[in-house]
Amino acid sequence: MSIMKQIEALYTQRGVRARELRQAGEKVIGYFCCFVPEEIITALGLIPFRIQGSQREPIDEADTLLEPMACPFARSCFNMALKGQYEFLDGFVAPHSCDTIERMYHIWRSNTPSPFNHLINVPHMMGPSSAEFYKNELHYFAGCLETFAGRKLDLEKLRQAVRLYNRRRALLRELYALRKAVPPRVSGTEITKVLVAGMGIPAAEHIDVVRAFIDEVQQRPAPRPDGLPRIFLWGNEIDDIAFIELVESCGAHVVMDDLCTGTRFFWEDVPETDDPFDGLVQKYLCTHCPRSLVPQAGGRADDLENRFGYIREFAAQWKADGAIFYIVRYCDTCELEGPDLKEYLTQQKLPVLMIEDDYSTTTMGQLRTRIQAFLEMIA
Amino acid sequence: MPFAGIDIGSTMTKVVIADDQEAVLAAHIGPTGVEHRHLALKVMDETVLSAGLSFEALDFIVATGYGRINVPFADKQLTEITCHARGVRALFASARMIIDIGGQDSKGIKLDGDGKVSDFVMNDKCAAGTGRFLEVIAETLGIDLAAMGDIALAADGIVQISNICTVFAEHEVTSRLAEGADVGRIAAGLHQAIATRVVNMTRRLGIEKEVVVTGGGAKNNGLVKAIEAQVGFAVLTPPEPFITGALGAALAGMDLFRRGIKPQRPRKREDVTFYS
Amino acid sequence: MEATQQVKTTAVKGTETAREVRALVKNIYKSAHEAKANGRKVAYMMVASHYDEILRAMDIVPLPTENYAGLCAAKRDMDRFLHKAEADGYSQVLCSYARIGLGFDSLRKELGRIPDNSPDGGMPLPDMMIGSSAVCDPRFKWYQATSRYLEVPTFAIDVVAPPPQADLNQVRDHYIAYQRAQFQGLIDFLEMQTGKQMDPERLWEAIRLGDRAWQLWYDIDRLRVAVPSPMPSQDHFSIMVAGHYYSGTQTAVDFYQKLYDEVKHKAENKIGVTAEEKYRILYGGGLPPWHTLWIFNYFESFGAVFAIENVYRGFDPVQVPSHVQDPVDYLAWRAFLRATRYHDQARTRSGSPAVEKLLGLIADYAIDGVVFHACRSCRATTIGQTHIKSELGKHCDLPMMQLVSDMVDLRDYSEAQWKAQIGAFMDALAARARRA
Repeated sequence: MSIMKQIEALYTQRGVRARELRQAGEKVIGYFCCFVPEEIITALGLIPFRIQGSQREPIDEADTLLEPMACPFARSCFNMALKGQYEFLDGFVAPHSCDTIERMYHIWRSNTPSPFNHLINVPHMMGPSSAEFYKNELHYFAGCLETFAGRKLDLEKLRQAVRLYNRRRALLRELYALRKAVPPRVSGTEITKVLVAGMGIPAAEHIDVVRAFIDEVQQRPAPRPDGLPRIFLWGNEIDDIAFIELVESCGAHVVMDDLCTGTRFFWEDVPETDDPFDGLVQKYLCTHCPRSLVPQAGGRADDLENRFGYIREFAAQWKADGAIFYIVRYCDTCELEGPDLKEYLTQQKLPVLMIEDDYSTTTMGQLRTRIQAFLEMIA
Repeated sequence: MPFAGIDIGSTMTKVVIADDQEAVLAAHIGPTGVEHRHLALKVMDETVLSAGLSFEALDFIVATGYGRINVPFADKQLTEITCHARGVRALFASARMIIDIGGQDSKGIKLDGDGKVSDFVMNDKCAAGTGRFLEVIAETLGIDLAAMGDIALAADGIVQISNICTVFAEHEVTSRLAEGADVGRIAAGLHQAIATRVVNMTRRLGIEKEVVVTGGGAKNNGLVKAIEAQVGFAVLTPPEPFITGALGAALAGMDLFRRGIKPQRPRKREDVTFYS
Repeated sequence: MEATQQVKTTAVKGTETAREVRALVKNIYKSAHEAKANGRKVAYMMVASHYDEILRAMDIVPLPTENYAGLCAAKRDMDRFLHKAEADGYSQVLCSYARIGLGFDSLRKELGRIPDNSPDGGMPLPDMMIGSSAVCDPRFKWYQATSRYLEVPTFAIDVVAPPPQADLNQVRDHYIAYQRAQFQGLIDFLEMQTGKQMDPERLWEAIRLGDRAWQLWYDIDRLRVAVPSPMPSQDHFSIMVAGHYYSGTQTAVDFYQKLYDEVKHKAENKIGVTAEEKYRILYGGGLPPWHTLWIFNYFESFGAVFAIENVYRGFDPVQVPSHVQDPVDYLAWRAFLRATRYHDQARTRSGSPAVEKLLGLIADYAIDGVVFHACRSCRATTIGQTHIKSELGKHCDLPMMQLVSDMVDLRDYSEAQWKAQIGAFMDALAARARRA
């Protein structure tokens, strides 16, 4: 099977590999967002599985249990669980990412409990005491998971897992580097497939997939210059190609992102510290999800620079011509962050299109006009 | 050198043929209908005929509006945002803002000093603040949509309507009617509610003079007055608000043509086919 | 927060003491203006963050921005602030408290002064903003966004609570240690801002007053088990002002003492809210509809009295171990104990502390029906209502109803729909009464 076909299969038939592994006697631990260290799960000989929603299926059953003003990504995930599509999970781990995920955890646990259920409290603040607390939360999580797995966490295995995941991170960065070319060597749609494919399989297998994909991309003939605008994407959960495909089909290249399903989960390495937990805390406490509060740094201009300087660098290095914000509706922290980031990027002369949407492919066509108009505007 | 613009909106299809002096040679409006692709061609034919031209003589055709994708004879598709901006630029050099109230959506467009789009906003997937909203409410009030603006202006007061959600507003209007409120005052309240919503949305762009109101909404005096009350100064309306987008499409086609972009294939009326 | 009654459907006999709240509310903003004039420090803050006593001990004048939003809605003067925030790019589904706050600050900046005729004179410019992660996400994020309109030192603390299934013996230490560090961080910040050192004795004094007021408040609520109900939920949404905005002051203690005496008198003499109390309702959760508080009176016109509620309540009193000698340690312990008050009970039955608390209220207050209010822009108090409702249904057989609107945004409210829903709910209550 060609690598693209393999990725396509992993992308469309999510959970198939996890089910296979489970049949073979492995235990699969489902988790949400970018705050749960997969390294700990892996080091205990368990298979981490990042829970995804489905933008292509209507949310129906969840409506009777979870209010419609909750984040539709979370509702979609829960809807799938109610329909038995996550019956293969031996464990269910939610970080306290935000109000919705935390509240949904309890509802999920009550309605479709897995054999193992756990909520990790993730500090919203950043600082030494927050790091210390989070480390304790991770120790408590690891302890509970040890009991479930029936084995002790071996720190050497944890160090190995850190190195394994860092290898994957390095590869994904290498893949992203191919997007710097003008035009990019690889489309945003393909990237999304590669990333989503990796969410449901062991990291070691994903590494092989990404490696093979990079090799394939490098053999492609260099694309001809097309003059199409290059887009930087900011938002929360995009685990379906629909939106990115829409943007690209309107005549643009999606070249870089700051998304929960994109750079946020892999861009920074876990430092290889003596106590591996220290490294895990350093990485996982400081993802760029707006639910984490960056402490105020001076006046407004300095503070914006401190909060968003990395985005300016992303946009510059990947030569973005415009930024599109794709916010899955009802995300309070994104909705508070968006206008600040828009102000900052506009100051940097990067035009911004801010979109709030419902996490559903069926209504996405309505966004076409807005995206096209934006592309016409920045052309 | 004739250029055509066709704007396929949710209810009306508009065609404008303009020359290279930006003068309108002919304009036609027809219903969009379910079979809008065939009707589009019909309106196009009529316009070509009134301009005394042939279809083959058109130098460039731009399609816009929500049905723009299904126009097989267009050389280019552009969004109504770009086209409205272009049309308004031709009509009012001083324009800096456009508030367009169409049948299915409403939008705010900001123009830079050259009349180019510098930012825009569109309403969400909801009828509030659109022509459709007014239609629904006119029906609830039992009045003619076309007369609604004048009825509102003639009212000696206003009934506040707090709900802008179409379904809720219908409820609210029914309750107010049951309480015996005056139809004119309710209509005035509705216009105020829509104007508040649309102007508020446009405020995201920072409102600057001059403001031009386009689309079907610009034909409703009551609504235009309500918008003026919200922005705090008089707004401009094109003589034919419906065709601003189509005019802009024609002129955008002229711009492209002048930049050296040519139709990809020779234009033949009999070659126009539809795949459905 | 007081109700501006749009339609007075029935004469409600609430408490006399609750009428004094209007002055307390006005005084919040008046004191803040005076403090600015006298060079005292004013802070935007979030109620129920467990840090009130620290602010009092440091002479910081608190300005509760969320509650200003509620005040605007009760005065039906919210639209200009909501619209302004939306014009500035904030989503119409963002927390409407935050939208009002952002809109107010934006308008004030644009005008260079407090917007004309702002309710109760408006909020003066704060010297600092102090958010917290207690209760919901916007409460720590909102002030960061506000820095767009006013550049003042901004700080926030985490307030953490373990999930009910956590083994408290395993997590207690790190939760309390973190909470302590967060409070200490706030103290350090305030010391920097004021140039003054925290006096532990003053902190103890504020804690003593805070605990005393909340104990009295709790005792008042216990008196409300009386039939007929001596104090309705409408009064609760007023009298909470003392507990939440005057926490750590003698004012709150005095107020609740007076209210306690009145409610006790009413309970003992069976002086009820309505002439005929047919049904006793529990306000099960969700922020109150500040825009339409008269709706409670509408229920009363059917003989249905809101006997007790589960929002903006004081925390139940907790017993901090006597070995805790340091006031900051005490605050951390107290926050932890408050947050885990129903955890043990939850583990043995429903798994949900909220469900346990409500079941307790249903039993103690002889409740006939439960009403929830889903607020479209409040995730924290709305998500889970449906679940709680269905869990409650497993343990009791009561009519329950979820009304939908928003805490302040009137655009999400439909009077016609509510009245129809309330009518059906009354039918259900009557049917249940006939069965009994």
